[in-house]
Amino acid sequence: MPTTTAAAIGAAQRRVAGPSLARRIEANPFTWLVPVAVMLGVFYLYPILDVFRLGLTNASLVGSDERYTLVTLRAMFENPALLDILKTTFVFTIASVIGQQVFGLAIALIVMRGERRKLRGMVALRTIVLIAWVIPGIANGLIWQMLFSEAPFGAINSVLRMMHISPVAWLSDPNIAMLSAVISNVWRGTAFSMIVFYAALKAIDPTLYEAASVDGAGHLQKLRFITLPQLRAAILVNSILVTIQTLNTFDAIISLTGGGPGRATEVLSLFTFNTVFRNYDLAGGSVLSVLMLVISLVLALFYASFMPRREASE
Amino acid sequence: MMRLRLCTALLASAAAFVAVTAHADNLVTKDRVGPADAPKSFTLRLTNDGPTSTDPVWAEGYQKLFSEFIQRHPGWRIDLERMSDNIGQEQARMLEQAKSGNGPDCAAVDSFVLALFKGANVLKPLDEYFTKEEVADLFPFIREGITGPDGKIYAWWWNTDLRVLYRNKEIVPDAPKDWAELKAAALASKEKGGEGVLFNGGRWEGTTFDWLANFWAQGGKLVDDKGKPIFAEGENREKFLKAVNYFKDLVDSGAAPKRVATIVNYDEFNAAAAAGTAALFIGGNWQYGQLKNTLEPEEFAKWTFSEIPGPTADQRSTGTGGWTFGAFSNDPEKVAMCAAVIKEVYAGTGNALQQQLPTAAALYGKYDVFKTEANETFAKALVNGQARPGVPIYPEISNQIQVMMGDVLSGTKTPEAALDAANTAVQAAFARL
Repeated sequence: MPTTTAAAIGAAQRRVAGPSLARRIEANPFTWLVPVAVMLGVFYLYPILDVFRLGLTNASLVGSDERYTLVTLRAMFENPALLDILKTTFVFTIASVIGQQVFGLAIALIVMRGERRKLRGMVALRTIVLIAWVIPGIANGLIWQMLFSEAPFGAINSVLRMMHISPVAWLSDPNIAMLSAVISNVWRGTAFSMIVFYAALKAIDPTLYEAASVDGAGHLQKLRFITLPQLRAAILVNSILVTIQTLNTFDAIISLTGGGPGRATEVLSLFTFNTVFRNYDLAGGSVLSVLMLVISLVLALFYASFMPRREASE
Repeated sequence: MMRLRLCTALLASAAAFVAVTAHADNLVTKDRVGPADAPKSFTLRLTNDGPTSTDPVWAEGYQKLFSEFIQRHPGWRIDLERMSDNIGQEQARMLEQAKSGNGPDCAAVDSFVLALFKGANVLKPLDEYFTKEEVADLFPFIREGITGPDGKIYAWWWNTDLRVLYRNKEIVPDAPKDWAELKAAALASKEKGGEGVLFNGGRWEGTTFDWLANFWAQGGKLVDDKGKPIFAEGENREKFLKAVNYFKDLVDSGAAPKRVATIVNYDEFNAAAAAGTAALFIGGNWQYGQLKNTLEPEEFAKWTFSEIPGPTADQRSTGTGGWTFGAFSNDPEKVAMCAAVIKEVYAGTGNALQQQLPTAAALYGKYDVFKTEANETFAKALVNGQARPGVPIYPEISNQIQVMMGDVLSGTKTPEAALDAANTAVQAAFARL
């Protein structure tokens, strides 16, 4: 066969077979995602799958013979304390989410207004609020424990006594202890909400407010008909993040109340921690972790269903 | 000429001292004892009781002891690991690591969880490193705690502690001997501006441990010989409820403040003593030294301690804890080094350094620090010492007692309802073990 004919056939075969393997790998977007997928798989997906697996065993830090069973699953869901703990978790989460959003939005609005009027100290104000956010949960709990201390030398009660007001059982009364836990969590988490809302407020077109002013709208009307609708997506995204963050909070509570008195402030994450690290029940803790994951996912999907959708034309 | 010789001698001594000190400093670093290039090494996981202690006196003392130790064992290096203050979590992690074969070669094991480590078969026997006489000299509850079902010893319990009733002699001159006397003394101290008697009542192990003395003093048993929880059955139930009602009555009557339900740290008692708001509290023997360091000498002189009051004057008990060392390594040489650390650094010398109570009677006569009146009194009180049962269900029993105490002291549940709830949870957990 003449050389030219062979070359022509080879070229034709390459055209039929398509581009080379290297080029195909290069052109395939999944190739570029493999490193990330491997990282996520090893460090995130595998532990999650292992937690699912452990939940279906009798694994314990003190036992030796691990076997697959549904006994742990049933024991965890039949635990009479679980319902009370879920109620406590619900109250703690909803109060924290609402509190953090309200205070975060209020501070963001104050900062925005201050900046618009070119007031000094707005950066300092933002920084001070952020300090609470960077304090570790354990330290946050210890700070509030000192403040709420019911000892004669407790900080807040000492101030109340100076004002001739009866001291408050901040941590020993089961109902007030929950309020104290919420206050400490809101104090710490407000800064995050403030940052989210501050960024969202910056993105609102100022001409909307100018038009509203021309139409004679007051401050409250602007807040209700312009600011809040424009912040809808930010509020929903923030709600998802703050809810998940609050559901996972146990460090601040363990150092503030330890979950007590009794189980008054024992939220699901703390119950899970205690199950694993105090009762050495690895399987039970895994079941509770899966429960937390399911609750977080359901709530995230619930919030996401309210997210404004992009129009097809956009 | 004489002066010149003297100066030369002084300079030489100083140079030698600096050289020795520098050498010792090099031998003990933050994460290592011994030369970095030593051919053999083993890992040693410690608590605050070691060369990296936050207490400068203890740190300096252990640096010296470890420096001398490693010079007696040339060719070895100790890789130090330090536990955080979250002891429960640290011990749980270490147990998991040891089970999977990744534990340290030698480590401090809390006596409270020693039974779990023994049950998991992760500890190596230490019999060949301690003589029969040394083992026989240990207090009975200590010997029982370290001995496995096969009669071998699986750890060395090197220090112990106990709980006592501290009181300000100016406000409470006489030691209350029984529950009624303690209540009366607490109420009397309130009339003098105090808070009454303080004790642990929050969600932590100290609450269970300190309160159990009142249950044990009546002869109550948490578990039977097979480790099954029996605290809510028959006579034990009555004794349990009697002890719970005693604490409830202290709070309801005002003899103890409601804030005891929030106390999760012995340091709270030191703070109250320093602030002059407490005249009575149930604390650990180690707090005597802390009070001495915290209070002005004339204030400290007002404080003393006595045995925890029982239901009657002749029914007494106190909870005893402490720390052990265990070896996890499969290498006999490393196990031998672990035993050497225990014998040469901790048992006796470490006790004397930290003024923590030894576990063997002979050591009390060996060191001057234990010949003080206070330490001799502590040693006598150990006669009524009782360790927590070394059974796998104990952590859950403790957890449920903490919950129960919070519910009862805050008035959320009656003692009977709280006990039933605790027993239901414990029995369910026991059934799954």
